[in-house]
Amino acid sequence: MTHTEIIKTPTPASIAGGSGNSASKTVAWVASRGIFIFTAVLLVFSAIFVNGFASSVNIIDVFHRASAIGIVAIGMTFVVISANYIDLSVVAQIATSGVILMALSPTYGVLGAMAIALFFALLYGLVNGISVGFLKANAVVVTLGTTGIGAGILSLVTGGTIYYGPTGGPIDAFGDARVGPFPLSAFVLIIVAIVASIVLSRTKFGFMIRSYGSNKQATRLAGVNSGGVVVGAFVLTALAAMIAGFVLAAYSNTAVSTMSEGYDFRALAAVIIGGNSLFGGRGSIFRTFIGVIFISVLSNILVLSGFSFAWQQLVTGAVIVFAVALDALARKAEKR
Amino acid sequence: MSTDPDAQTTRKIVIEAHDVVKRFGGAVAVDQVSIAVGAGEIHAVVGENGAGKSTLMRILAGILTPDSGGVSVNGKLLEPGAKASLEAGIALVHQELSLIPEMTVAENILLGVTPTKFGVIDSARQRKIAGDALDQIGVSVDLNERVSRLSMALRQFVEIARAVARNPRVLILDEPTATLTPAETDYLLSMLQRLAARGLAIIYISHRIPEVFRICERATILRDGQIVEVMTIAETTPNAVIDKMVGRELKLDLQTRRVADPGAVVLSARGIRAARVNGIDLDVRAGEIVGIGGLVGAGRSELVRAIIGVDPRTAGTATITVDGETKNINGYGNAVRSGIAFIPEERRTEGLALDMTVAENITLPNRAALSTGGFLQRGKIAEFATRLANTVGLRPPEVDRAAGEYSGGNQQKVVIAKWLGREPKLIVLDEPTRGVDVGAKSEIHRLLRELADQGTAVLVVSSDLPELLELSDVIHVVRDGRIMGTLSPDEANERSVMALAAGERVASSS
Repeated sequence: MTHTEIIKTPTPASIAGGSGNSASKTVAWVASRGIFIFTAVLLVFSAIFVNGFASSVNIIDVFHRASAIGIVAIGMTFVVISANYIDLSVVAQIATSGVILMALSPTYGVLGAMAIALFFALLYGLVNGISVGFLKANAVVVTLGTTGIGAGILSLVTGGTIYYGPTGGPIDAFGDARVGPFPLSAFVLIIVAIVASIVLSRTKFGFMIRSYGSNKQATRLAGVNSGGVVVGAFVLTALAAMIAGFVLAAYSNTAVSTMSEGYDFRALAAVIIGGNSLFGGRGSIFRTFIGVIFISVLSNILVLSGFSFAWQQLVTGAVIVFAVALDALARKAEKR
Repeated sequence: MSTDPDAQTTRKIVIEAHDVVKRFGGAVAVDQVSIAVGAGEIHAVVGENGAGKSTLMRILAGILTPDSGGVSVNGKLLEPGAKASLEAGIALVHQELSLIPEMTVAENILLGVTPTKFGVIDSARQRKIAGDALDQIGVSVDLNERVSRLSMALRQFVEIARAVARNPRVLILDEPTATLTPAETDYLLSMLQRLAARGLAIIYISHRIPEVFRICERATILRDGQIVEVMTIAETTPNAVIDKMVGRELKLDLQTRRVADPGAVVLSARGIRAARVNGIDLDVRAGEIVGIGGLVGAGRSELVRAIIGVDPRTAGTATITVDGETKNINGYGNAVRSGIAFIPEERRTEGLALDMTVAENITLPNRAALSTGGFLQRGKIAEFATRLANTVGLRPPEVDRAAGEYSGGNQQKVVIAKWLGREPKLIVLDEPTRGVDVGAKSEIHRLLRELADQGTAVLVVSSDLPELLELSDVIHVVRDGRIMGTLSPDEANERSVMALAAGERVASSS
C-alpha cells in the first residue's frame, strides 16, 4: 500500500489537515477533487442535452482542438509545479515551430525542419530558464518579453506569409490520419501525457521540480542545483510547445505567425482548472489532462449551442477565476 | 479532569476557558481543557510539542473557533472570532514573528490600529502611542528604524510592545525566549513581572522550565491535548513538572559528558570573512563535537553558513578532509557532495518541504542513491525512509504522512534523518533543538553523541547554553564575528561562556 503513496498528490484529508471547520474542508475537497466531478457532469450533460455533441465528427473535432492545447498545457504544468511560475512565451514558441516546419520542410525535409525547430525550442527554454532560474528574474515579465521578441522576429521574417504544405505530403497525411475514429494528434497528446506523467512522478528530475515548487530554500539546502531545475522545467515546456506547433500545423496543413494566439491563456486555464496549484508543489499531469478535456468540451458545447467567440472567452475566464479563487481558498483553509 | 487536586487561585479571574475541545480531522488537538487566569498572575502552559499548547492559545485569542466549549473574559462569554477577542483585551504575541520587516518600528507597533486624521495616517500620534508602549516595557529603540534592521531580540520586544499598545487585559506569549540569549531572556522575564504587577493576566508558554519557575505562579501541564495537572509553582520542583509533561521518568543528566576521542581534522577553516563574520579560524576533528556559542547577532549562524558555502564568503578558505583526501569547499553544492550535512536554523522554511511526505523529504538529499537511470526506486525509498525514521525515533514512523503534520520535535528528527542517509562526515547544526520538546531534545542529543562516537565530526551552533555545555567537546565563543575565546569542557560553564560572549556588555545591560 505504501509505495504508491510517495508520488501521490495530497489527499483531501491532508489538504484539509489543518482545519476542523467543515466549510473549509468542503472548499479543500472541491479544490482537490471537484474538477473530476465537474468534468464528468459536463460530459454527461453535453451528451444528453447538446445537439450534435455525441456525433463522431464532433468528438473527433474536440480531440483535434484538445490535442494542441493539451500538449502545451502539459508542458506548462512543469513550470507551474516548479514554483508559481508561468510561461507566457508559448504563443511565440508554438508559432515558431509550426512556421519552421511548414516553411522549411520543402528545403530541408520534414526531419530537417523539425531539427531546426528543436534548436529554437531549446533556445527558448534556455533563455527563459536561465533568466528565471539563475538571474532570478520574474518569470511573467521574462516570458512576456521573450514572446514579444520571438513573435516580433517571426513576423518580420515571414511578413505574415501563410505557409501551405503540399496536399498529400507527409505533414498533410499526418494531419488527416485516423486510428479508428481518432486523429493521430490525439495519440500524440496521450503519449506526451504519459511520458510527462512518468517524468514528473517517477524520475529524479520530476521529483526535484515538485520539491523545489514545495520549498525552494529547503531544496537548495539539500544540495540541489535549483537554477538547473528551473531551466529544466522551462526546457520541457518549450519542447511541449514545439510538439504542439507541429500538431497544430499538421491539422490544417498551414502555418502563420499568428496561428497560436490565445494559446497561453487557454493552456494556463487547463493547468489551473485541473486543480494544479499556482503556489507550486502540488499537482499532476493527469489533472492538466482533465483540465484540457473540461475546457475543450466547454468551448465545444458553447459553439454547438450557437454562442459567439466572445461568450467562450467570457465563460473560460469565469471558470479560471473560479478555479484560482478555489485554490487560494483551499490554501487559506489549510492554514487555519 | 475534575478529579485532579488542581491548584486554584485566589485572584480575580480575568480570562477563563471552559471545557474547550478542538479537533483537526480525526485527531483531537485540545480535549476538554479548562483554564482560569487571574489578574496579576503569570500562568505557565507547558507541555511537549504537539501537546496542544499553541492550539489552546489560538483558541483563547479567537483565531481558532473551538468545536465545543468557550472563552470568557471578566465573566462574559466571547463571540467567536479574533476581533471579539481583541476587543475584549486579549493580545497574543506570536511564536513566529508577525512583524513586517520593511515597515518601521512605529508602523509595526500600530499595525491594524493605525491612527488616522481625515483618512490620512496621523504619524505624530502613531509615534506617540508606539513610544509609550515601548516605554511601558522599558525598551528603547528608534521608532523610525525598519524592523528588518533590528536584532531578533529587539524584534521580539517590538512584538510585545505591539501587544501592550492595545492596552490588553490578557497577554499571551508563545515561546517568547526561543531566540533570545540568557541576558535578553532575563530582561524579558523581568519585563513580564512588571506588567503582571500592574494587573495584567499573563499566559506564558515555554519549553524552558527554569523560566517558568522564575516568574510563574501556577502552571497548567498539557499532554496529548488534555490537562494533566495544574500545579502551584511554589509547591513543586522542575523535575516533577518535566515528569508530568513527558508522562515518563526522564533523567536530566546534563552533566554526563561523553569521553571524546577526536581523530584527524575533517573541517578546517582559515580567515573566514563574510557579512558579520570578521576573520575566523576553526577546526573540527572526526569524532568531536565543536560548539559555537555567543549572543544572538554575534555572527554564529553567519559563520557556519559562510564556512560551508550556504552564504557567500568575502575572504578565507575552508577545506574538508575525507579518507586522507583534502578538498576545498567552494560553494554549497560542492560542500554537500564532499560529505557535509547542514541542518539549518529555520526548520519550516529551510529544513523541510512541509507539504511533502516524510519519505519525500528524506529522498531529497539522497535522490541519487535512491534512483536508477534517473528513475526513483519507490520500493527502495519506502524502506530507506522507514529505516531512517526509526533511527531518529520519529513518532509515529509513518513516512507517507506530510512532514507538516508532525510536531516541531518530530520535524527536526526528519531534517536530521534526511541527512543521515548520506552518512555525512561532518554535520553542521544551527540551533538543533530550537522549539523542540524536552523528550525529542534529549533524543536528538543522544543521536548527536552517537554520531560523534562513530567518528562523525559535529559542529553545533546553539543559543541554548545548557545544550552547548552538555554536548560540546570544545566551545568557541563568538562576538562581533570573531572567536573571543575557546573553552574546554573543564573550563566551560554558563558564567565563562557568557563572560566571553557578552564581554563588558554583561554589566551595562542589567
